[in-house]
Amino acid sequence: MMFPINQELLLFNIVSGIMLGTLYGLATMGLSLIFGVIKVVNVSHGALIMLGAYTAYWLYTLYLIPPFISLGTAFLIGLALGFSIFHGIIKNVLGKPEMISLVATFGLAILFEETAKFLWGPDFRGYTWEIGRIEFMSFTIPLTRILASVSSLIIAISIYIFLYKTKMGMAIRGVTQEPEGAALCGINVIGIYSISVTLAIALTVASGVLITLFVPAGIEPYMGGPYTLRAFVIAVLGGLASPIGAFVAGLIFGLAETLSYGFLSLLPISSAFAMTRFVAFSLLLILLLIRPEGLFRR
Amino acid sequence: MKYGPLITPLILYMILISIRYINPQLSQLTSYIAFYVALGQAFNIFLGLTGYVDFGYVAFMALGMYGMALTTVNIHNILVGVIDQHLRIYLLVIMGTLLGISFAVILASIVGSIALRLRGAYFAIATIGVNEGFRYLIEGSGMWRGSEGIIIAKDLIELYGYEGMTYISTEVADLMLITIGIIAMLITYVIITSKMGYALAALRDDEDTAKIFGINTTKYKVFAFIISAALAGMLGAAKMLKDQAVFPPQAFSIMYTVEAIVVVILGGIGTVIGPLIGGVLYSLLKYYLTVIIPGIQLLLLAPILIIVILAFPSGIVGFIKKVFKSNRVKRLVI
Repeated sequence: MMFPINQELLLFNIVSGIMLGTLYGLATMGLSLIFGVIKVVNVSHGALIMLGAYTAYWLYTLYLIPPFISLGTAFLIGLALGFSIFHGIIKNVLGKPEMISLVATFGLAILFEETAKFLWGPDFRGYTWEIGRIEFMSFTIPLTRILASVSSLIIAISIYIFLYKTKMGMAIRGVTQEPEGAALCGINVIGIYSISVTLAIALTVASGVLITLFVPAGIEPYMGGPYTLRAFVIAVLGGLASPIGAFVAGLIFGLAETLSYGFLSLLPISSAFAMTRFVAFSLLLILLLIRPEGLFRR
Repeated sequence: MKYGPLITPLILYMILISIRYINPQLSQLTSYIAFYVALGQAFNIFLGLTGYVDFGYVAFMALGMYGMALTTVNIHNILVGVIDQHLRIYLLVIMGTLLGISFAVILASIVGSIALRLRGAYFAIATIGVNEGFRYLIEGSGMWRGSEGIIIAKDLIELYGYEGMTYISTEVADLMLITIGIIAMLITYVIITSKMGYALAALRDDEDTAKIFGINTTKYKVFAFIISAALAGMLGAAKMLKDQAVFPPQAFSIMYTVEAIVVVILGGIGTVIGPLIGGVLYSLLKYYLTVIIPGIQLLLLAPILIIVILAFPSGIVGFIKKVFKSNRVKRLVI
């Protein structure tokens, strides 16, 4: 059986897949950073993304502040939130069974979602921020999306430089590998925990701002759920404990998702969208079984 | 007294049943309570006894719902031939429940033998993957009527008449819910007091050490997983008779798993009576919050959930054990 494969469409799918992938990568780095340092799976991940998305929405609709400036605001909100979450909740679950941290962060997710619903209602919201489009063969790509993926890339590179070239970053990686050894070297382990969790949450909230540029009308209190699940898949793909691995895995995942959606919509199945998700979760399970340490770990 | 710990929970179940039959106006509340108690008791067998977190537990309940729904839709023509009304109801309930249990057990055997090799967070993520994967498989491929869902109210009315349908969705379903809770509690008791209970306790505290001492941890945890899943399948079948409709997004909602975890932890994880107490408290809290302040009950439950898990991780039973230092109380409450 031959499918009418349109070369231009394929190329367009690859480009938009990579663009989406940079965003997925950025939106997963926070989850991996938290898991790497304190071995806690943050189930409230998607809810934090949702808070970032609302930040972008309100700043734009109320004060016409463009999303690239609200990126900074969201980061600051994230820092404050991250600091309070660490000292209020996460600090108390360190070293306890996984169940405690999973349930506590799940409670946090419900708290954020329900607060958002209480304050802003359950309706879908959206905004359009047009700054032009560029021609790409017979397609056009909004300039905002290109800017979003370029800024994701820049943020990811900054995180890389922070983790690998600065003293603080080295301390974080040291604690990730061996907290006791790091403590013996004079590193304040609790301090590093606090800094990493705060940074990771700020990063996650900020990524929510950029996500609004890709889903123009999809801002609602429960929008985070799919992002949490997707972040799990991507984080496992990238080794769960490595933020940089997560970014690369995000690129791969974005590409795979766009291409498989393009392919599945050619097949006679009832919902290509749902089937793409099914493919993603099958991938997750297979990967967990054959390579739980991720694609890149030697 | 060997069966001492069973006295209090059985009395509580008796009270629940009496309230149900003495005052039928409260039947909505009592079946609400019975559902959460059964959910907690069933989930406790896996979560409480092994310490593994299965976020995809709701998938087994969803399969139970589908088992009952598919049975109702497909054996319609056979059942029409049976004259006796009661026999017809029994046939449907038994066959639907069996199909639901079989679905759950098949999935549990596959997931259990594969995913239970993973631990902690990896296992939790894998189970979310199974749950969501199954949901999107149904929606995406259109199997079992896909995202349209299955509604059986019409079939039930055609088969049993309007009164028969009401009878099934109240009397029969309630009886099933309470029975499931009691069965799950008895199974928990039998496991805890047997050799398997010690093996699981060792596993929960330190799996590697338990393995070194020659305990076949895989066997025990897969066993607990499958039993817990089978009970969830049964619970799903009962829930289907109550709801009379199943849609993938609601049936596979992770919310149910979280509620089950809350019930178990609130009462006392890994205990016989804990999920019963937790289920009663949680359902009463949720029911009245829904009545008093509709719409924001979750907003209020979330902080309660966080506080309970941080401050009282051993639940009410743990609290009772701490307060009453006498050994008699400790022996009665396990």
